[in-house]
Amino acid sequence: MIKIKAKDVDVFYGKKQALFNISLDIEENQVTALIGPSGCGKSTFLRCLNRMNDVIDICSVKGEILINDFNINDKSCDVVRLREKIGMVFQKPNPFPKTLYENVSYGPTIHGMAQSKQEMDEIVETSLKKAALWEEVKDRLHEPGTGLSGGQQQRLCIARAISVRPEVILMDEPCSALDPIATAQIEELIDELKKEHTIIIVTHSMAQAARVSQNTGFFHLGQLIEHGSTDKIFKNPDNKKTQDYITGRFG
Amino acid sequence: MSEAPHTVKSYEEELKNLNANIIKMGSACEDSLSKAIQAITSRDNNIAEAVIQEDEKIDKYETLIEQQVVNLIALRQPMAIDLRETVTALKMSSDLERIGDLAKNISKRTLLLNENLPKNLVDSLNRVSTNVQKQLKSTLDAYLERSAPMAVNVWEGDEQIDDLTNLCMQEVIKYLKENEKNLEDGTHLLFVTKNIERIGDHTTNVAEQVYYLVKGEYLEGDRPKGTEPIVTGEK
Repeated sequence: MIKIKAKDVDVFYGKKQALFNISLDIEENQVTALIGPSGCGKSTFLRCLNRMNDVIDICSVKGEILINDFNINDKSCDVVRLREKIGMVFQKPNPFPKTLYENVSYGPTIHGMAQSKQEMDEIVETSLKKAALWEEVKDRLHEPGTGLSGGQQQRLCIARAISVRPEVILMDEPCSALDPIATAQIEELIDELKKEHTIIIVTHSMAQAARVSQNTGFFHLGQLIEHGSTDKIFKNPDNKKTQDYITGRFG
Repeated sequence: MSEAPHTVKSYEEELKNLNANIIKMGSACEDSLSKAIQAITSRDNNIAEAVIQEDEKIDKYETLIEQQVVNLIALRQPMAIDLRETVTALKMSSDLERIGDLAKNISKRTLLLNENLPKNLVDSLNRVSTNVQKQLKSTLDAYLERSAPMAVNVWEGDEQIDDLTNLCMQEVIKYLKENEKNLEDGTHLLFVTKNIERIGDHTTNVAEQVYYLVKGEYLEGDRPKGTEPIVTGEK
């Protein structure tokens, strides 16, 4: 089932066009990887999906992005509600300079998701469990989140993202600052999270895209060159540019 | 699809080297088969001895290619066409090694045969082996040229080898029945014929791998088969 449908999306930074006519269907409860060389537009596209590009003054987006058949570029779209539905995890772990508990409870608090302390405790515990962090931090919930290791901080950020029960999680190179063990833990987590969430991950690691995703899109110079099953893309891509990129023949 | 060189030159070299070893191994197999047939049809024991000795060279290629493939997978994690090149090389080397073994077996039997074989049997062996040699050459050409249509031609040609094998078998069986003294030679000739046919089968396997290498998909459908093999001969 299609969760997100991008139709003819163009993005401009001032006069410079960053994305050209991108049309892409994202399947529900699957992991879609976006790959491509630096500056190809994959992160720009990712940021279109929860209107993060709105915060850049000179950025303008054209075209339709339908999530559950609703065009999020429509003026009637409530961006705060949108970002509740579409969570995001960034390249560098960025916990708030607050306690672990406060990091996770922040979103549910501003969205009024808990009626009592007990309900909030449950949300925090569930989110940390889903992020595979609970066992490691349950005895120090009131210590600063910034005191955790890099991998733990990233899982904390994932717990924070899932605490508001998003339907979609956007991940922008979530493992690029992590060691292989922490990377494996995040990849295992992604595999678990896709049962309840639709995940879109931008990664520079081809091996990671191959390991974690079911579908892959290859971007180059602002265009979506090829999109298909990860299996097909990495074994027998249709487009020569895709093949050149994933086999390291580019440029 | 892509002939552009890799950004990492050493990776490019490793893949080229793997490719070169497959070609060398294939040529060695062609040579062995050709000599094995020459040895049996011209009754030249020196050539047969050479084929037996040269099998070691083919075996070493298989080991070398296997090591190269393992290294590529472990150290380069090949993708797409590179992955298919790597996996295909491993499978091809296995089939080529069997071709070498079968040529060696033909030569071992050649050393045990009488000097004078009936001309009709020699002609019959020549017919089927000429066909198999052509198939092997075409398969290796298909690999060199990365040509799926050429691989398909080989695949379709396996049927003719089956038919020629059966005709050859029938003649050997007839020869066996003619005289009790023919039993030893006739038995060896049956195995020789079967070995040639099996070389044809391995050649067809290689052709299937070439097709996969080029197209990224498997040849569909049942492999064309000739008439049912003769097991007991005419009654």
